[in-house]
Amino acid sequence: MSRIRTLLAVLVAASLLLTACGAGAGSAAPIKVGAIFDLTGATADVSTPYSEGVKDFVAWKNANGGIAGRQIELVSADYAYKVDQAEQLYTQYVQEGVVAFMGWGTGDTEALRTKIAEDKIPFMSASYSAGLLDMTAAPYNFLVGTSYSDQAVIAVRWAMDDYKAKGGADQFKVALIHHDSPFGQSPVADAKAYTETNGGAFMDLAMPKGATDYVAELAQMKTFGAQYVIIQNVSSPAAVLLKDAKSQGFGAQFICLNWCADENLVKLAGDAAEGVMGALPFAPPSVPVAGQTDPEAFLKAKGSSLTEKGLHYTQGWWTMAVMAAGIEAAIKAGKEPTGENIRAGLESLQNFSTGDITAPIGFSATSHRGNSMLRLYKVSGGVWTQVSDSISAGQ
Amino acid sequence: MISGIFHSTYEQDMALRHTHAQKIRLALMLLFLVVFPFFANRYALTLANQIGIAVIGAIGLNILVGYTGQISLGQGGFMAIGAYTAGILTARMGMPWWASTLIACFVTAGVGALFGIPSLRLKGLYLAIATLAAQEIILWVVTHWKVVTGGVDALVVPNPELFGLRLNNDFNFYWLVWGLAILVTLATVNLFRTHFGRAFTAIRDQDIAASVMGVDLFKYKLLAFAISSFWVGLAGALTAHYRSIVTWERFTIDVSVLYLAMIIIGGLGKVTGSYLGAIFMTLLPAVLSNLGRALKGTFPIVETIVPFIQQAVFGLVIILFLVFEPEGLNRIWKNIKDYFRLWPFSY
Repeated sequence: MSRIRTLLAVLVAASLLLTACGAGAGSAAPIKVGAIFDLTGATADVSTPYSEGVKDFVAWKNANGGIAGRQIELVSADYAYKVDQAEQLYTQYVQEGVVAFMGWGTGDTEALRTKIAEDKIPFMSASYSAGLLDMTAAPYNFLVGTSYSDQAVIAVRWAMDDYKAKGGADQFKVALIHHDSPFGQSPVADAKAYTETNGGAFMDLAMPKGATDYVAELAQMKTFGAQYVIIQNVSSPAAVLLKDAKSQGFGAQFICLNWCADENLVKLAGDAAEGVMGALPFAPPSVPVAGQTDPEAFLKAKGSSLTEKGLHYTQGWWTMAVMAAGIEAAIKAGKEPTGENIRAGLESLQNFSTGDITAPIGFSATSHRGNSMLRLYKVSGGVWTQVSDSISAGQ
Repeated sequence: MISGIFHSTYEQDMALRHTHAQKIRLALMLLFLVVFPFFANRYALTLANQIGIAVIGAIGLNILVGYTGQISLGQGGFMAIGAYTAGILTARMGMPWWASTLIACFVTAGVGALFGIPSLRLKGLYLAIATLAAQEIILWVVTHWKVVTGGVDALVVPNPELFGLRLNNDFNFYWLVWGLAILVTLATVNLFRTHFGRAFTAIRDQDIAASVMGVDLFKYKLLAFAISSFWVGLAGALTAHYRSIVTWERFTIDVSVLYLAMIIIGGLGKVTGSYLGAIFMTLLPAVLSNLGRALKGTFPIVETIVPFIQQAVFGLVIILFLVFEPEGLNRIWKNIKDYFRLWPFSY
C-alpha cells in the first residue's frame, strides 16, 4: 500500500520537476498566464477556435516585442468541462507562478470565483453572466463581452422599437427560450424586468436537455402569442429550433444572443436562419473591421483565414489582448506584474480600442463590466451583416 | 518466509492485521500520511485532499456495488445532496460545519434508501437505469428548486472553522479529510465483520440462497443503500466545505461514471481497492497532462493530441483492467505482496 503510494508520489514529483525544467527561461523574466480550455468536452466546438485565438495572440504579441519587452508564457491545458480538473489545473498553475488566468465556461468561472479572489489572480473567461459583475462576490473577474443580461435587454429594446415601427397594435410579447442551466437562466430576470417595466409581456422557457425537436415549446410560444423570441443557447439546439419553427410556420422574429449567433448557426440551420437577428458583442469575420487585420495577417501566414476559424477565434484573440493590455498598463505604471497590480492595471483601462471588434472596453475600481454596448446583426444571404450601430443597454 | 499464521488467543484471531509485515506496512503508510503535508506544495496538497474525498466516496460506492452487488449510477446525485444540504444548512441557517455535515450524511442516507427501493424488484442493468434516473431527478430538483437551493446559481458556503482556525485551506483540510477517511475505513472494515456485512456479501454472492437462509433481502438492500449513501453524503459535504462554492456542474453523470471506474479499477469488494482506485483515477489526468507538457518540447505534436489521449486513456484503462485483471489494482497489489511473502516458492 505504502509502496504504491510512494511510487505515485515519486511519479507526480518527477512530472512536476520535468515541467519546471520544461518552462524555459527568458532574458527578462517571462510573464506567466494560465489558461484552461474545453477541447474535448461538451462545448469543444466553440472552445477550440477560442483557444486558438488566445494562443495565437500570445504568439503574435511575443513576436512583436512582447509586453514592454517581456515575453508572455501561456501555460494551458484542456479540462473537458470537468470542474474538478479545472480546479486541479488552476492550483497547479498558481503554484507555478501565473499572474493572470483565462478561464472558459460558467462552470469553472463560478467554481474558481472565491479562490481567485483569495489568490488575487485576475480572471477573464467566455462566461458573460451578470452575476460576475458583483464586486463583492467576484472582485477579480473581468468581463470582456457584453453580459448576457445586457444582451437580452438590448435585444428586447430593439424588438420593442421594431414592433412599434411595424405599427403593432396589440401588447408587445417576447419569449426567451434558453438552455436549461445557469448559463441559460442568466439573462431571464433582467430581461423580464425590462419588458414588464415597459408594458410588455414576458415568457421564459427552458429547452430540455437532449431534446430532438422543440415543437412543444413552439406551441407554447404560439399560445402565448410572442411576436419576438430571444434564444439564449448554443448553435446546435438553436438551429434545431429554427428549423422546427420554419416547418411549423411559426412567424415570430428570432433574436439570437451571442452563443448562438455565429457561423455554425447558419451552417446548421441553412435557410431557416435567414432573417434571424443576432446580438453579437464580437464582430463576425463577414463584417470587416480594423481589429481583424492582425489576426487575419497572422492566420494567412499559417495558411488559414478568419472565415475558416470563425468569430470565436476573434473573441479569444481580443479577450487575451485586453488581459495583455492590463498587464502592460501595470508595467507602464512602474509596478511588478503581480495579480493585484494587473487588476489595478485593468481597472485603469478606459476606452481601450479593440479595433471595432467590440465597443471600447473600460474597467474601473467599481465596475468590471467591459462594455454594455453591442451591434445588432442579421443573417442575409447566409452571412451575418450589420444592421445597427452600437446600442447601449442603458445601465 | 513464514510457514503459517498461528493464533493462540481470540484477540489475535479477531485482529485486523495478523503478520508483522502487514503491521509494518500499515505503520509506514500512516507515517507517510502524517509526514506528507509538511513536505508537499500546494498543488500536491490539493491533489491529496481531492484523493481523500474520492476515497470516502469510493468506499461508500464500494459498499453498495462491490460488497452488495447493487449497481448504482447515482453517485453524482447523492454527492450533490450531501453537498447542497451541508451548504444550505451552513450558508442559510448558520449551522456550524460539523453539524451540517452530520445532518447532510443522514439526509443523503435517507434519500439513498428511497432511491434504493427499486432494488427490491430490479437487478443488474435494470437497477443501473433506476439509479441513473435517481441521478437525473436529483440534479433536476437541485437546479429547479430555487426556493431551497438557489436554483442554478452557485451556493457560497462560508469557511469552516474550528476554534478560530480556518479549516479549508489546503494544509488544515488535509488533516480533516484524512482523519475522516481513516475513520470511514475502520468503520467499513468492521462493518463487514458484523452480521450486516455478512448479509450484504451473501446478497451479492447469491441472493436467492441468502433469502432462503433468512436474510431479509429488502431490509438489507435498503440498509446497504443507506450506509453507502451516508459515506457518499459525507464526501459531498466535505466537497462543499472545501471548495466553498457548490455548483450542480460538479455532480453530473460524469462523476458517477468516474467513481464506478475508480472501484472497478481499484478492486470491487475491498476497501483497499477503493483507496487504490481513488488514487489512480485522481492522479491519472494530472500525470498525463504533466507528461504531455514535459514531452511538448521534444514532440510538439503531443500538445494538440494530449487532451484526446486523456479521454482515450480513461476508457482504455477500464477496458484493459476488465480484460486482464478484473479484480483490479487490489489483485495486482496482492500478487506483489504474495510474491515477496512466498519467495522463493512463488507458484
